[in-house]
Amino acid sequence: MRVYEVFLKRAGKEEFRHAGALEAPDDQMALTYAREAYARRSEGAQMWLVQRANIVAADPADLATNQTKSHRHNDGSVIAARRKQKRAEAKAGGGND
Amino acid sequence: MTATTMPATVSGLNHWAGLDEFEAFIDDGGMVEPGDAMPEVYRQEVFRFIEFHANSELMGGLTERDWIPKAPGLRLKQIFLAKTQDEIGHAHLLYMVAADMGVKGRTEMLEDLFSGRSRFHNVFHYQAVTWADQIAIAYLVDAAAFASQRAVFAQCSYGPYKRVLKRIVAEEGFHMRHGEEMLLRMAEGTPVQHQMFQEALNRWWWPAVQLFGPDSAPDDPLLRWKIKSERNEDLRDAYIQKYVPLLQGYRFQIPDDGVHFNEEAGKWVVSEIDWEPLKATMRQGGPDSKRRITNAANNWADTAWVRSAFNLEGAGAP
Repeated sequence: MRVYEVFLKRAGKEEFRHAGALEAPDDQMALTYAREAYARRSEGAQMWLVQRANIVAADPADLATNQTKSHRHNDGSVIAARRKQKRAEAKAGGGND
Repeated sequence: MTATTMPATVSGLNHWAGLDEFEAFIDDGGMVEPGDAMPEVYRQEVFRFIEFHANSELMGGLTERDWIPKAPGLRLKQIFLAKTQDEIGHAHLLYMVAADMGVKGRTEMLEDLFSGRSRFHNVFHYQAVTWADQIAIAYLVDAAAFASQRAVFAQCSYGPYKRVLKRIVAEEGFHMRHGEEMLLRMAEGTPVQHQMFQEALNRWWWPAVQLFGPDSAPDDPLLRWKIKSERNEDLRDAYIQKYVPLLQGYRFQIPDDGVHFNEEAGKWVVSEIDWEPLKATMRQGGPDSKRRITNAANNWADTAWVRSAFNLEGAGAP
């Protein structure tokens, strides 16, 4: 028996999503099982089956190093603070015009 | 970067120093995934629970199947075909989730079920005598099972189980609507139909109420680990509050002399529950246990040639 992971995609913009797994003796039976177990009610317009043994998985520790790289983001807080200050100044000075 | 081919799952690989750290993770709303180094007690308990659920879906599906040829009219036959396929489909999803926990394989779970070594819901140990019994199952019994599944889905710390429950709960939702429509027809039908459902209710009321099980133990680990989100007695009570007035509204009698509305408590109260029938079903000693298990085992034996054609395990003797 082979284990397959099932991915479904609805029509439109949505991406493929993991739906679950199944066991089947070959690709043809896997497609039949997957259609009957995961896509009975138009859950997908497209379906991918991937043999689990063929999935290359990363070590989560290798991904974890990327979770602390603040220099790869900018939340805009410095600019927002300046704008806020400018608005406050304009409001305070507004009365004398 | 290091890479491995998938051992069992796409995600996970969490570790915990001990049970306390694991439970703190669950308390914070953490999700456990199959590749995680989960505590062995969690693995065993959650596996047992999912295996029980999978077995119940399969046995429930076989019950529905029995009524496809007898369902009155083409529309009901179609509905029962679809429902049967849904239930068997739920069993497929659940057996896969259970197998990925690494305790037993799918074939082993099926063989344990068919040889009477593992358990399934009490309600599938009784005989469905007439079409009205099947309606009682499709509505009252399914409603009880639905309530307990929804309560598992609500929190559910085990990721793959929560994800398949989402589908299962959605499908059970319209099974319920089919069930209530069938009940409505009987309730508003001829006196014979009304009486027929009353007799079915007499047989199914208590098994449905007992499905929730006796009161939860104070330290039930499945509650502790957020597999169950509500105590058995609370789910049972909510069921009674909903279904006693609903059935009475259809002019049916609850088969319990002690059932009454307690004004002080502001709620419906039923007589003390005798748990012996439930315990008997857990020993495969229910009124119809033997026939149902034998029937399922015969199906498994009769389809051995298919597995053998694919050269699969569990092919057994031809």
